[in-house]
Amino acid sequence: MAILKWSAELDTGIEVIDGQHRRIVDYVNQLHEARERGDAEAVGEVIESTVEYTLSHFAFEESLMEDAGYPLSKPHKKVHELFVKRVADLRMRFRAGEDISGELHGLLSRWLFNHIKNDDHDYIESVKRNMLNLTRETHEGGWLSRSLGRFFGGRH
Amino acid sequence: MQILTWNEGLNIGIDVIDAQHRTIADNLNRLARVRHEGGGSKELEQVFEQTADYALFHFGFEEELLEEAGYELLSSHRRAHAVFVDRVRELQDRFRAGENTSEALHALLADWLFNHIRHEDRAYVDTVRAYMAGPRS
Repeated sequence: MAILKWSAELDTGIEVIDGQHRRIVDYVNQLHEARERGDAEAVGEVIESTVEYTLSHFAFEESLMEDAGYPLSKPHKKVHELFVKRVADLRMRFRAGEDISGELHGLLSRWLFNHIKNDDHDYIESVKRNMLNLTRETHEGGWLSRSLGRFFGGRH
Repeated sequence: MQILTWNEGLNIGIDVIDAQHRTIADNLNRLARVRHEGGGSKELEQVFEQTADYALFHFGFEEELLEEAGYELLSSHRRAHAVFVDRVRELQDRFRAGENTSEALHALLADWLFNHIRHEDRAYVDTVRAYMAGPRS
């Protein structure tokens, strides 16, 4: 397990999405650190925070894609669902007392990296075009705040 | 075990699918590298797991896309994926039981996958492109 370093190929150029992705990478690194320290309680807490945040991120992202009329939003949503199922399974095993933090870290780091690079990059053009249209019609802060509020509450 | 060099002939012309296929090829090459460098069974098991995992995600994405696009050969395509997954799982189970099946996994990936991309996946391109270009409700 290594500390994940942000690399340029993870940037989508959509600031709000890149911010959320960076936050998830931070959580993944926190998981690694908690594990290194042997701090089981912290591991448990980070797992919960990571899962919750990732779910909100997925919902936000799916909303962006659908609003933009991105043609592959349903298949993209499908891989989100598959990932959530995998993580839910790991969380259940963790709650039953099994140390799955290594497996979770591996899943998060490798899957996330590939998902951002392959799948998220594919929606950039559609979403950026839509965001430009939206900011022409409404104040950006208004639209963005509303969307973030919908999925993250005060936690974005 | 050969290292696979991606070539233009493996692109089917749908960017996100090509990117996912390239990732599977990368996993294949990682497996070859870990084996060549004498990686331990823990490391091999990890690569096995990640290779199988990613293929599942890719199949999920692809099948959903084919369903949305109304691809007429969807059910046989799904069946082909299912056969592959069963084979990978069998190799994984045998690996966990102590048998080194990493070479068999590599061979499966290299043969099955690249034939599947070149034939079955290529066959859906027109339908999917038409779907992506057309109006959606």
